[in-house]
Amino acid sequence: MLRLDKYARTILGLWLVTTVIGVVLVLNTRTLLPGLLPVAASDVAKSEDFTLGLFTVLAVPVAMLVWVVAAHTIVTARSREFPTEAGPVVHGNTVVQAVWLAGSATLCVGLVVYGLALLPSIYTPVAGTQLVVDVTGQQWQWTYTYPGYGNITSTSLVLPVDQPVTFRVTSVDVTHSFWIPALGVKVDANDHEITQAFVKANVTGSFTVRCAELCGLYHAYMQSPAEIVTPAAFRQWVQQPHPKVAPAA
Amino acid sequence: MTATSHHTSAAPVSFVPRSKFRHSVLSGLAVGLLLAAVAYEVTKFLVTYDTLGRNTSIVMGYLGWGIGFLIGVGAFDHPLHWFLGRGEPSQDELMDEAGLNGGVWRYFRFTTDHKVVGIQYLVMGMVLFAAGGLAAMMIRLEAMQPGAKIFPVQTYNTIVGMHGLIMIVATIVMITGPFGNFVVPIMIGARDMAFPRLNALSFWLLFTAVGIFLTAPLLGGFPTGWTGYAPLADQAPPGMDAYSLTILFFVASTAIAAANVTITVMTMRAPGMSWTRLPILTWGVVASSVLGLIVMPAFLASQYLLVLDRAVGTSFYVGARGGSGWLYEHLFWFMGHPEVYVIVLPAFAVVTELLPVFTRKPLFGYRMAIGGIVGVAALSMIVWAHHMFLTGWSPTASGPFMLTTELISIPTGIVFLAAVGTLWKGRVWMTVPMLFVISFMWNFVIGGVTGLYLADVPTDVQLHGSLFVTAHFHYTLMGGAMMAFFAAVYYWFPKMSGRMYNDRLGRIQFWTLQIGFNVTFLAMFYTGLQGEPRRVADYAAKFASGNFVTTMGALLLGVSMIIFWYNLVVSARKGEKAVDNPWHANTLEWQLPTPVPLENFDEIPVITAGPYEYGSPYEHTSKPVPSAPAASAQEVS
Repeated sequence: MLRLDKYARTILGLWLVTTVIGVVLVLNTRTLLPGLLPVAASDVAKSEDFTLGLFTVLAVPVAMLVWVVAAHTIVTARSREFPTEAGPVVHGNTVVQAVWLAGSATLCVGLVVYGLALLPSIYTPVAGTQLVVDVTGQQWQWTYTYPGYGNITSTSLVLPVDQPVTFRVTSVDVTHSFWIPALGVKVDANDHEITQAFVKANVTGSFTVRCAELCGLYHAYMQSPAEIVTPAAFRQWVQQPHPKVAPAA
Repeated sequence: MTATSHHTSAAPVSFVPRSKFRHSVLSGLAVGLLLAAVAYEVTKFLVTYDTLGRNTSIVMGYLGWGIGFLIGVGAFDHPLHWFLGRGEPSQDELMDEAGLNGGVWRYFRFTTDHKVVGIQYLVMGMVLFAAGGLAAMMIRLEAMQPGAKIFPVQTYNTIVGMHGLIMIVATIVMITGPFGNFVVPIMIGARDMAFPRLNALSFWLLFTAVGIFLTAPLLGGFPTGWTGYAPLADQAPPGMDAYSLTILFFVASTAIAAANVTITVMTMRAPGMSWTRLPILTWGVVASSVLGLIVMPAFLASQYLLVLDRAVGTSFYVGARGGSGWLYEHLFWFMGHPEVYVIVLPAFAVVTELLPVFTRKPLFGYRMAIGGIVGVAALSMIVWAHHMFLTGWSPTASGPFMLTTELISIPTGIVFLAAVGTLWKGRVWMTVPMLFVISFMWNFVIGGVTGLYLADVPTDVQLHGSLFVTAHFHYTLMGGAMMAFFAAVYYWFPKMSGRMYNDRLGRIQFWTLQIGFNVTFLAMFYTGLQGEPRRVADYAAKFASGNFVTTMGALLLGVSMIIFWYNLVVSARKGEKAVDNPWHANTLEWQLPTPVPLENFDEIPVITAGPYEYGSPYEHTSKPVPSAPAASAQEVS
């Protein structure tokens, strides 16, 4: 049976203290490290940031458990010379092993269930009438086509705020990845396949579309502006003349 | 030769070589380069149409190099001898092939002694780390500030890919190669590997592969990074063929090595060395080898199809002609994710092997730890598509792959419990190897925990393809696995070289490495979370401060590697002479004299207890008893 001697009680105490300190630090990350995460301009991006924080909080006690045992043992019982006495002969402890297994399994299953619950927010459209944008990647630029507005094309992405959007993403050459950090959206652009991503921006502003898959020479420069504008500004924008920008065949 | 009853004796065996000519790496290079030129020119003459012609000739040239080198180094001599019905080699010939009285040149020949092969692998690993490290320094200097200032972008992309693949090859072989070869056969009480000639072949195949890879920059490099994604690879310059051919030879090398070490452990254990008395290093090496044997062929297949696309004009990966990049990604990651466990399992094993020695306690939950290692190996084969959550391939499959990926944290946690449980109340002997074991426990926790962010789709959406991923896998592979490699090198260096390393330099290297490493990659987590993509030659101004800190850390890290090199090279020549068992360890290799004689044991020992009975009434006396008949080096009851 598990009984806590002085050594175990010390470690338990240190573990609780370091865990509390760690969690407090994690909860104040935004104050301590301003600018750590990109601006979250959609609900899904906000939820992704929340998940990041949640996982970090959960990671603290796990990491501290390992580190506190190691640190305490090193601090109290180390020597540069060959130790004159051996450590206690412990081949294992069924209770400890069972508790450890149960604990890690619970944590693991919890994370999976949590992740599964959030999958629809990534892989399904936001409720409402969709604005469809066809996104085409090519070495090394993005082209956006708006089939609902007479197939106008543009090399910068313009979206109305508070409007559910469906991106239909493809590539004419190699694999690219369509990533808008501020909106928390990412999906690969594959040649001769159409993949989809969904979002509803809820803040106006100027952001960036990045290619997130190494696509050759100028991958580092494959980006375009992403403007989130008011519905009125968007209606005005689509009525402007749009010179045809066609992806290379 | 391992099954013979030959006993090595102090007096040299009289033996006259068959001829004055001796195969070596030099004859290998000569024949290899000659056959490469012939194959290239002949193919160029035969295949003249369109742009494929050049790729075809280059591929054939590389094949000519590989086959020519192996002929020239003497890899096929004995098989040919046997094939032509000229009878079995004599005992003297076998001993000569094993490098008896071969001097330093035996390290440059097709030598079958497992200890020679182990040291060849160690030196090769060190050379690869130096080359890959140099590439890392170039990457960090370019990325120190925004703007592509030092290298042309194409060169930068090639350097990134060279760094990646060199380090992957180096880390795959870094423990299984040197220590799986040098230490494992002795640990299990065997006189050599089951197939000594295949053992030498596996090393020289690696040499062949490395030779090919180093020519990639001469042929325009390759733009794909180490992952070699098609269809980008289909349109790449001929440097891509160097990449593919490297993989073909490297996978052959790993398959042969893995089969050999697995069969050795299955069939050649000393009497009484049951599976539950095996030192855990052996378990880790076997689990890693079996896993590699299953998954590495997928890498070979991916490159075989790529070579066909590029040299013959098939379209396995070209969407316009019915192919798919997803096919490449599946083949690649079916190898690619288990491959990180091929690297990490031997590292787990080194850590759990060394902890009992340096805490003077039995390993906590020995059987449980083995279960953890085997569990990780098994699960790792069904997680690969977590690299494809955002490819659009199948959103439905994300759920199951999320589950399998996160399940791996359970057996990994078990291995960590073994480590933590062994430390618990231990008497910590702070040697240089132990320092690295402890740093493994710091770094790998960070690497493992950050892996969960990437295993869960909602966070992976933001982090996939960013520098966060790069920082994460450096924490597992470098901060984790490579620390175990350093621990292993310092731990077995006295047995392998016969001399002690310089303790002070070892400690300086440890601290510079720890500080440099953590500064480098903690700062990289920061830029990754900020949203900087991986593998970019240039970046926005907001990432500048994080990148600058990363480069400063990387420079310190580079200094520590130079200290490591210096320490090993100087200590191997001029270090203090090592005693047979400087660590008072119980496993068999420490019971033999240093240097370990050819064929290791005069008498095969009989094993009567487990390897980690420190402090127990069973702890014998771990005194060196090399030649006592039937001595159980692990234990006596």
